Amino acid sequence: MSGYGLQAGTAEVASAGPIAFGPDGILFLADNVGAKVVAVDVGDPGAAGRAVVGAQPFDLEAVDARVASFLGCGTDDVVIRDMAVHPSTHDVYLSVQRGHGDAAQRVLVRVDRLDGSIADVPLDGLPWAEFALADAPAVDDERVDGILWPESGGEEIHYGDLTLRVLRQPIRTATITDLAYVDGALLVAGLSNEEFSSKLRRIPFPFRGEVADTSLEIFHVSHGKWETAAPIRTFVPYDGGRSILASYTCTPVVHFTLADLVPGTKVVGRTVAELGPVNRPIDMVTFVDGGEEYLLVANTSHGLVKIACRDIDAQAPLTEPHEPVGVPRETEDLRGITRLADLGSGYVLALQRDDEGRLNLRSLKTASL
Amino acid sequence: MTGVSWSRCDGDDCIRVSGVLPGARVVVRVPPAPMVGHLPPMAGRVVPDGADTCFVPRYPFLFGTTYTVAVDGAVVGELVRPRPERSSATEVLEIGPTASEVPRNLLRLSVTFSAPMRDGRADAHVHLVDQRGAEIHGALLPMEPELWDGDRRRLTVLLDPARIKRGLVGHRELGYPLRSGESFRLVVDADYPDARGGPLRAGADRRYEVGADERRRVDPDGWALRVPAARTFDPLEVGFDRPLDAALLARCLRVVDPAGRAVDGRGGVGPEGRSWWFAPTGAWAPALHALVVDPALEDLAGNSVARVFDRDLTRTDDDPHDGPPVTRPFEPR
Repeated sequence: MSGYGLQAGTAEVASAGPIAFGPDGILFLADNVGAKVVAVDVGDPGAAGRAVVGAQPFDLEAVDARVASFLGCGTDDVVIRDMAVHPSTHDVYLSVQRGHGDAAQRVLVRVDRLDGSIADVPLDGLPWAEFALADAPAVDDERVDGILWPESGGEEIHYGDLTLRVLRQPIRTATITDLAYVDGALLVAGLSNEEFSSKLRRIPFPFRGEVADTSLEIFHVSHGKWETAAPIRTFVPYDGGRSILASYTCTPVVHFTLADLVPGTKVVGRTVAELGPVNRPIDMVTFVDGGEEYLLVANTSHGLVKIACRDIDAQAPLTEPHEPVGVPRETEDLRGITRLADLGSGYVLALQRDDEGRLNLRSLKTASL
Repeated sequence: MTGVSWSRCDGDDCIRVSGVLPGARVVVRVPPAPMVGHLPPMAGRVVPDGADTCFVPRYPFLFGTTYTVAVDGAVVGELVRPRPERSSATEVLEIGPTASEVPRNLLRLSVTFSAPMRDGRADAHVHLVDQRGAEIHGALLPMEPELWDGDRRRLTVLLDPARIKRGLVGHRELGYPLRSGESFRLVVDADYPDARGGPLRAGADRRYEVGADERRRVDPDGWALRVPAARTFDPLEVGFDRPLDAALLARCLRVVDPAGRAVDGRGGVGPEGRSWWFAPTGAWAPALHALVVDPALEDLAGNSVARVFDRDLTRTDDDPHDGPPVTRPFEPR
C-alpha cells in the first residue's frame, strides 16, 4: 500500500459522510465534522482469492433492521449516509450514523456479498492517509467577530465605558455532499452553511500534503438566459472519467468535462435536463449495457430515471421554449431509491425504502432497466 | 435463578447475568420490529466476572432502547436503558436574518440555539407559515445532511433555490415561495429535540415582511463609512444599502492598517444586518486604513460582491467580478 502513501496506524474519522472506492480497494470517507477526506485500505477479507460473484444478483431485505440489530439499537437510530460496492469482492459498504445528538457515532459497516452477513469495519490498524479541506476552519477557530446581542446571553465586552454584548459568530462549515475517484484524483463536491456556491474540488491522490486541491466554481445556464451557480448535490463521472454529470440543489442536471476544470478559468456546464419541480436528484450511477453507457438517477419524488450517455453528448443546451424536455429519459417504476452503486456484471445495487418503511438492498438487472 | 441487571465490568457498561453456568451462550438483542428471517445479535463480548457473566457491547447501550438477554437460546430477561431526566433547558437564541423586511427572493434563514441540537430533525420542526397561519409547504429545501455549524448550534435552512431561480421548472410551475407585500413567520417547534434528546424550553418564531426582489450585486463602493477620529477608540461604522448576511459579514470584512496588516480589534453586525462596526484594540493612527471586503459576501438573496444570484445574460452590468478583495480606503483624522 506504500504506493498510495498510506501510513500505518488508525485514522480518526469523526462523522459518517459520503464514501467512494478508489484504486485497489481503497475507500475514501468524507468526514464533515473533521473537515477532511480519509483514504483507508479496508483490507476486504474477500479480496484474496474469492471467486467473482458479480454475475449473481444480490438482494437483502431489511438491511436497516439487520444493521440496527448488530449495532444494538432501533432502526430509528440507524442513518445510512452512503453506500459503496467494493470493486473486486462486491461486498457492500455502508457509511452509518448510529444514534443521534450526543450519542451519535460513526460506523463503517460491511455487508458480505456471499451470505448477507453484517460486520463492522473498525479503522484500527488499517493503513490510512488524509486530506484536510483547505478552506475549512480549524476546530478551535476563535473568530472574533460577533453579532451584537441586545439581551442576556452572549459575551460581555468592554471598550472604555462602552459595554457590548456580543454573540460570537458560529464558524463556517463545509459539508461534503458527494465524492468520486477519477484517474489519479479525488473529486469532491460540497456546500457551505454560509455562502451559496458551486465548488468542485480536485484533490490529487495519493494525497501529498504540499499539493493543494484545486477548487472551481461551476456555473450553469438555465434556458439560455440565466446563469447561476449552486451547490452540487450528487455527481457521477462517465466516459472513462472524461465527462461529469452533476445535479444541483436547484434540480438541473448539468454536463461538463473534466478537462474544463482548469484553475483560473470560468467553467460553465451545459444544462441537459431538468427532472421536475419539488424533486431532487439524490444519487447517480453509470452502467454499460450492450456496449452503451447509461446513467441512472435516483430522485426524491420521481422513479428512477435512465439516460443514455450518447443522448447527453448529443443534447444541445436547454433553451426556451423546449422546456421541460432535455435528454430522452425513462422514468422507471422504481421509487424510494436513495442510493445506487454499480454491482458489476449486469447489475446495479439500489438501497430502496419499501412501502412498510424498511430499507432493502435490491439488485436491478441493467438489461431490464 | 437467573438475573439480569445494568452493571459495570472493568470500567465498561455491561449487562450482568447472574446464575448461569460458566460457558453458557449469552446473547443480547434489540427486540426487532415484525421481521423477516434471522437478525444478527448485538455485537459485543461475553466476559466471566466472578460468579457472573457480563455482556460488554461493542457500541454503547442507547437510552430508551430495550435489550433482551438470552442464555443458551432462552430469553431470561429484558432491560430498558433508562433515559436520563431531560429538562427543557435549550432555547432559541436568535432567528436570522434580523431584518424585519426580506426580499421576495430570500435565500436562507438561520436558527441559533443555546446548546447543541439533534440533527436530521429540521424538516419536521422548522416551518414557514404565511400571514393566514398556514404552513408554506415546499418553501424550505429538505437537506440531507443538514447545514449546521461545528457545534450543531446554528442551523442554516435554504428556501428552495429551484423556486427562486428564474427559468427553472420549479420557479415557473410553483413560483416564489414568498409573496411581496405579505408577511410570513419562521416557526421553530418547542419539541425540537436537542442533542441530549430533550425538548426546547419554548418554541420560537420571527415575523418578516416580504419586499421586492433583490437582484443587484453587493456593491461596497456604495456603502456609507463613518470614519472615526484619529487617536480615539471609536468604532468604524459601515452602513449598507440593504441587509447583508450576518454570518458572512463576520468572515468577509476586515480592517487593515497602512502596511496592509489586519488591525486588531472587534467587529460586529448592527441592527437588521444593515451596518457593521469595528472597534480597534488600540487607538486609530492618523493614517490611511482600508476596509477589505471578501467578494464572497452575500446579501439575503444570495447576491454577492462577485456575482448576482442568477445572472440575466442580457444585462452586461451583471457580469461577474472575479477578482481580488474590494477595498474601501479611509483615514482617521
